[in-house]
Amino acid sequence: MGSTARAAGDAAVDRLAARLRAPTGWLLAGLTGAWLVAVVRAPEDAVQGVIQKILYVHPPLAFAAYLGFGLTAVGGALYLWRGDDAWDRLARSAAEVGVLFCTLMLVTGPIWARGTWGRWWSWDLRLTLTLLLWFVYLAYLLLRSFTEGSERAARFAAVYGIAGLAVIPLNYFAIDLAGGRAIHPENLGSGSLGAGMGLPFLMGVLATLAAFVHLLVRRVEVEGLRTRLAERLAAERDRAGHEEGGRWAM
Amino acid sequence: MSVVLAVLWKDLVTEWRRRDRVVAMAVFAFLVVLVLHFALPARDADEARRLAPGLLWVAYVFAGLLGLDRAFAIELENEALSGLALAPADRGWLFLGKAAANFVILGAVQAATAVVFALAFGVELAPVAGGLALVVALGSFGLCAVGTLFGAIAVRTRYREVMLPLLLLPLLVPVLLGAVSATAGLLETGTLRWPSIQLLLVTDAVFGIVSFLSFEYVLDE
Repeated sequence: MGSTARAAGDAAVDRLAARLRAPTGWLLAGLTGAWLVAVVRAPEDAVQGVIQKILYVHPPLAFAAYLGFGLTAVGGALYLWRGDDAWDRLARSAAEVGVLFCTLMLVTGPIWARGTWGRWWSWDLRLTLTLLLWFVYLAYLLLRSFTEGSERAARFAAVYGIAGLAVIPLNYFAIDLAGGRAIHPENLGSGSLGAGMGLPFLMGVLATLAAFVHLLVRRVEVEGLRTRLAERLAAERDRAGHEEGGRWAM
Repeated sequence: MSVVLAVLWKDLVTEWRRRDRVVAMAVFAFLVVLVLHFALPARDADEARRLAPGLLWVAYVFAGLLGLDRAFAIELENEALSGLALAPADRGWLFLGKAAANFVILGAVQAATAVVFALAFGVELAPVAGGLALVVALGSFGLCAVGTLFGAIAVRTRYREVMLPLLLLPLLVPVLLGAVSATAGLLETGTLRWPSIQLLLVTDAVFGIVSFLSFEYVLDE
């Protein structure tokens, strides 16, 4: 792919991000308000008490984190395949936002666990898997920052992102084999939420997804600005170099 | 295929002439065994048998990390890595050659470490030597597959000695768990535990395929 086509793809991504910025921001603000009201009005759990309300934050954060890691791997694979920088911007932004949401999930989970299980952490299958995933994507971000040259960093990171996704099912079987106790509550089946808990949970999912999309859009924009700044600085350095060269020639 | 053998032969001959990597790895693995012996002293034979699988594999993985880092670090001298990248062959074959050399060198270190380990912890490894060799080979295959791929990546980053373990350790969990569980089965019952072997086989297949296919993207032009 030529550099003009690449620049055109970048410009299209910039336009899309700029167009999405305001609507996703307003959507996030509205949904957050509705979610707060719904959570306050939701009934208190008879057994767990108020701490059960972490349910309206924790699983939605998990969905957003997994979405981020999925987008990172898909973006990386498409970058390797098509060579279009726009896919790398998506992968990198999704990884950062995904790590943020995963961190929040790993913080909110133990708070609930302390109140319900009586301890902060358990080497449960799902907890261990998520923790490993968090380490994989932290390593992904470190790899990006320790690699010189954006094209090389993008290639390396894409390969690591794909390997990180491929290892998830393997980790699942490995932890299961090692006898990781499964004490994490099961996936929410239909009707497993108590009366009055469905709406705040749904609002939580929607608000978190809106936050994910909004942050992703802003992050993609920042990435574009950073690239343009680097290009401008390089051009200025080139010009300064030429002028310097000219003076020496005289 | 001749490319695989050529790269394998080149790496083994280089290693044979210098013998620095294998010596460094072996000494390091022995030291890890020694440190573990002091850090986790086993009071009796039963406890030693219970601790042995995990400790043995910790020594193997650490030695592996050390060797995998050197595997590409030596290619940086005289820009040999660029020469390798320019070879008119599919890069998947280059990967197989490098990975096979890592596998052979790590295997030699693992065999020596097993002897030292058996002596230090008083664990009878000789009766299960055949089964253990199979488990170690399966574990090393997965380790060398992703290790070779990410060794090639880490060598081109700043802080490459730190980068390689950071990249590898979270991915090595299935290898480590499968190998430790299979080794524990061998030491307890003298037989191979099929679910652990299955996990190792599947992990090896996934890591082998992913690394073979993506090695293309980790060498610079």
